[in-house]
Amino acid sequence: MTIGVEAETTESASRNWPWYTMGIAGVITLIASFTAPPDALQEQLSRILYVHVPAAWLAYLAFAVTMLASAMYLWRKTMVWDRIAASSAEIGVLLTGLTLVVGMIWGKSTWGVWWTWDARLTLTAIMFFVYLGYLALRRSTDDLVARARRSAILGVVAVGQIPLVHFSVIWWRGLHQTPSLAKPASVDMDTPMVITLFIAVAMFTVMYVAMMVKRVELARLEDALLEHDTAFDQPVAGDAVAAPKLAGGDA
Amino acid sequence: MNRYLRFVLPAAIIVVVLGFLLVNLSASLVYYNTPAEVMELEPSDDRLRLGGRVVPDSVIDEGEQVVFEVQDCDTAITVVHTGVPPQLFQEGIGVVLEGVWTGTEFDSDTMLVKHDEQYRSDDEHYDTERHSCSES
Repeated sequence: MTIGVEAETTESASRNWPWYTMGIAGVITLIASFTAPPDALQEQLSRILYVHVPAAWLAYLAFAVTMLASAMYLWRKTMVWDRIAASSAEIGVLLTGLTLVVGMIWGKSTWGVWWTWDARLTLTAIMFFVYLGYLALRRSTDDLVARARRSAILGVVAVGQIPLVHFSVIWWRGLHQTPSLAKPASVDMDTPMVITLFIAVAMFTVMYVAMMVKRVELARLEDALLEHDTAFDQPVAGDAVAAPKLAGGDA
Repeated sequence: MNRYLRFVLPAAIIVVVLGFLLVNLSASLVYYNTPAEVMELEPSDDRLRLGGRVVPDSVIDEGEQVVFEVQDCDTAITVVHTGVPPQLFQEGIGVVLEGVWTGTEFDSDTMLVKHDEQYRSDDEHYDTERHSCSES
């Protein structure tokens, strides 16, 4: 297994920096969240905002990166774009899941229910499952090229959900509040809270980048391993004996 | 051509299905009705949602039930809520109620407190008039 050896011989310090970065960013987010003043109405519960909002925004960003990388794959046909698209989608699913779980905890305490079929909640859940479907689609074949092409098309199409999710609170009368910051009108948060939120968003961005570095590298190794394994599926007699070719079949 | 269709077709189907869902579900994507919309309805046993702000000084706690008025723009409606209201329930706050419209009052058994987009460290910074009238 040359792949494992290759990974192991890499300097451990340069290999592990994303983990350290993620840990530090996470700690900074927590410290910032607990230094911010509590909301007058929600009190301590308002601190959930500093995880819920950055997670949701970075999920948007992750899926936008998936869309761009998917488009780049369809244009350039280089596998690195496919790996970036897939890695970003996976992290996006993780962040959407985090947004949903943390939001449910907030909803139980504020609204009084864990879940309700409000437009924002429903559309976010649909987005979560569509991108889970994207990840499932990638597992439906061992053919790297077919996998890349199929998922790239879905990666481009699925991004249309982001404006739908974000503006759902404005377009349809719902239970979920409208944006406090991400809108053209005035800022509806006190300055210390805005600063804390921006620190949290910056830290989540750092965590996203660190996770991407790790995940894209892992995807490269996975692809190499898959290619290595499927290499043994070649015909025993080599290319000398060709299977009968059917009309209209793929190359 | 054949190969091209095989991937474009599913994508097209996804777009069409999503579009169809959106157009048809738009009405049910609206989570609650305003007092004005509810008052136009005939009394019935159909459950529906009513949303608005709790009118200040209108709350009467009768133990098993809480009676208060919910207002949006200029229209207020009397609500008889059975059960214990959530912790954040107070005068002036946004609520969404589930129940039936009897023609004179809204009989509710489920109450959700609607928190708005304002994050303030001090009560006095709150713009309490903000959601006194919904646009649509």
